[in-house]
Amino acid sequence: MSFSRRQFLAAGAGAAWGAGGLRAEGWREEFRRWFGLPAPPELPADLRVPDAAAPDLAGHFLNRLTFGARPGDHARVSRIGVDAFVAEQLAPEAIDDSACARLLRHECDELGDPRGGLFGAREDGPGVGELFEYKDKVLLAQLTRATLLRAVRSERQLLEVMVGFWTDHFNVDPSKGDARWLKPAEDRDVIRAHALGGFPALLRAATLGPAMLWYLDGRENRRTAPGERPNENHARELLELHTLGVHGGYTQEDVEQVARCLSGWTVRGRRRFGRGRVEFEPGRHDGGAKRVLGHELPAGLGAEDVTRVLDLLALHPATARHLAAKLCRRFLADEPPDAAVARVAAAYLAARGGIRETLAALFATPEFRSPECRGAKFKRPFHLVVSALRATAAETDAGPALIDHLLRLGHAPFRHATPEGYPEEAHHWESGLLWRWNFALALAGGRIPGTRLAAGRLRERLGGDAALMAGVLGRRPRPEEEAAFRASGDGLALLLASPAFQWS
Amino acid sequence: MSTRALISGERGAARPLVVVFLRGAADGLALVSPWSDPHLPRARPRLRPGERVGARLDDRFALHPRLSPLLEAWREGELAVVHACGIAEETRSHFEAQDLMEHGGVAAGGWLGRYLRTRPAAARGALAGVAIGRALPECLLGAPGAAVLESLEDFSLGAPGPAWRAQLEQLYAMERGRLGAAARDTFAALLRVEEIRRQPAAEEGGAAYGRDEFSTGLRRLAQLLKADVGVEAAAVDLPGWDSHFAQEAQVDRLADRLATGLAAFRRDLGKRWERTTVVVMTEFGRTVEENSAFGTDHGRGGAMFVLGGGVAGGKVLGAWRGLSPEVLEPRGLLEGYGDLPVLNNYRDVLAPVLRAHGAGAADLAAVFPGHRPAPLPVMRA
Repeated sequence: MSFSRRQFLAAGAGAAWGAGGLRAEGWREEFRRWFGLPAPPELPADLRVPDAAAPDLAGHFLNRLTFGARPGDHARVSRIGVDAFVAEQLAPEAIDDSACARLLRHECDELGDPRGGLFGAREDGPGVGELFEYKDKVLLAQLTRATLLRAVRSERQLLEVMVGFWTDHFNVDPSKGDARWLKPAEDRDVIRAHALGGFPALLRAATLGPAMLWYLDGRENRRTAPGERPNENHARELLELHTLGVHGGYTQEDVEQVARCLSGWTVRGRRRFGRGRVEFEPGRHDGGAKRVLGHELPAGLGAEDVTRVLDLLALHPATARHLAAKLCRRFLADEPPDAAVARVAAAYLAARGGIRETLAALFATPEFRSPECRGAKFKRPFHLVVSALRATAAETDAGPALIDHLLRLGHAPFRHATPEGYPEEAHHWESGLLWRWNFALALAGGRIPGTRLAAGRLRERLGGDAALMAGVLGRRPRPEEEAAFRASGDGLALLLASPAFQWS
Repeated sequence: MSTRALISGERGAARPLVVVFLRGAADGLALVSPWSDPHLPRARPRLRPGERVGARLDDRFALHPRLSPLLEAWREGELAVVHACGIAEETRSHFEAQDLMEHGGVAAGGWLGRYLRTRPAAARGALAGVAIGRALPECLLGAPGAAVLESLEDFSLGAPGPAWRAQLEQLYAMERGRLGAAARDTFAALLRVEEIRRQPAAEEGGAAYGRDEFSTGLRRLAQLLKADVGVEAAAVDLPGWDSHFAQEAQVDRLADRLATGLAAFRRDLGKRWERTTVVVMTEFGRTVEENSAFGTDHGRGGAMFVLGGGVAGGKVLGAWRGLSPEVLEPRGLLEGYGDLPVLNNYRDVLAPVLRAHGAGAADLAAVFPGHRPAPLPVMRA
């Protein structure tokens, strides 16, 4: 039933768009109501736009804590204040996100139906083993789509931003081995489950996650005979990328010792009973005594070795500093001030790795709130695309045509091959300007199948071109921007392609 | 200078330098195997390196069988190999090693970008530095102009009319700093590629490219080079060499792509090959000893290749001490073989190449700051 409805819907909607324009609008709404489909984004009543010459504090918090302001967001945050906004976003469980959940169930129902599923209501979702029943390409497509839909439509924006952050931090390219089937479970059970929780629990879940054990060859790390050399890949990235940082004070000996501690942890392959299950095989573990970062681990601890190692690492001062620097680079500036990093690192340690407390400290630093910080982060392509969709209240199915733009921009989710994740700093992304401009042209020109925006209606609701520009830019447009907007032939495309919109 | 003048004229005199980066740390001991060294089969009993030996290059080394498309260049003296090569810093981190290598030491910007900055103004067009792929590699950071291209057709702006482009150009002209510069490069490159699309270059006979991404990238690069649009330096990646697990099939496949692509590129360039140099590098080599998963882990010294019309090839150059345990570099506490040490610094391979491409001594000091040069004789005088 659900499948045929989807097919019918796809065909019907396509035909309606083909017939084109506003005449089809009423018919679409009828159709939507009839089938009980999720509503398009609703515009709130208060649509006042920013009127200062530079981005204000409310606009700054929206830029950094979300994937970009929607029409009305600035008015709302100005009303409740930035501190209340931070508190709200740090407690996502209290935010009603049912509209987004409904949308996900409709757009991603290959995985969701019939039981509620991976992206929706059912808390337990399909078991890890059940994922192997799907085609790997379907899983990647649906996971990518769900990620993009949530970034555009979820009310829990900071949660989504942090999911992106940890997805980079614990990068897994699912094109390797069984990770193709295991990554969606990791996204749900590791990244999303802990994104605003505690880092020690996140670290343990990520280290012993089945997708990671595939991606970094941990499942192959064993010592079954004297002289057999453990596979160091996972141990090295655990120290270098996931915890201490590249100059975090560990040595090649530490890498080897941690590899020995991790030996024996493996994941059942897809042709075995209990596929996808992570387990500790004592016969493959190096049971001898180890010495990690100057701490002795006695022989015979077995599966307890990894617990000891993660305990040493999770709240190590070098880890605090590494994570604080990365968070500050994401939220504050490409080269964050040392004082802010030190303050965030201290908050991390004081909160025993609590991610909410750490973020709260970051957003409270004077550096984060200073005017120099505003509008000075170059948007990464994913952020640019989502912020354009949000600023224009676009409706999207987050389908292949939109994903193609992200691929061209070099920033499609789950496609980064190497373990360090997509880079953060501006200089990595500046060479892609042409693709940004072409995306702006395609979006404003209605040339992305499955994505549409009603620019005329939006302009009317906001109160004219100047208001539309102020809403999109988060500040009053400058005279030369207004002139260019009028002279260009496609003002909205120009606005989204303009230098000002590339910054957040 | 008008666009027309940039496209024609002295452009034909450019000496393109192509940098191929084998990301993930290629196993130099598999690509250029020290076939006569008794320690290799002892350190890799299950990989059985003795069964993977191709043509012998000399009494010490043999080329991987899948690299045999490069033998013609070797016999004609246009391929040189430097073994036990890499960075001096002892790191086994992919990211740190690539970073150091692409930056040319601890320095801002990439070595290739800094090299382009030393070029005369006439040689600094919008397409002076080209990366074939989707992202700018670190080695091209800081270049006066660097375009990232996947294909020529891709490089166009779908604007509704000339007014839109003109207005956008004006807005970016007011942007200071790197973003303004990146926009200027992009607009200039658009003009140039529009020229090339109007007059595409034909492929030389006999160039047998593969169908993979690497070959496709080289084919597109050859188009650009033959169009004489002033490419001074190009970067192409061939990723996937991190062979911790069951490495034989992985290395076979990649070696095949590498050699097929380069052999076709050499043929396709025709007489332009005389002025072209290709450098193939990787961040470090792999362990002498195999691991428990029929793979190898992160090591130190690796292999580097230099191909081109001006190369003093047909030789394996640089220091080599073999694989006996006492000459290997100790790694950590585990017993067994150490790592192949770095006996030849990668900058001593790159510097003579840049020299042959017109860099002076002062330029080289700027490209590789803080490096005391001991250049290897990879280029003909």
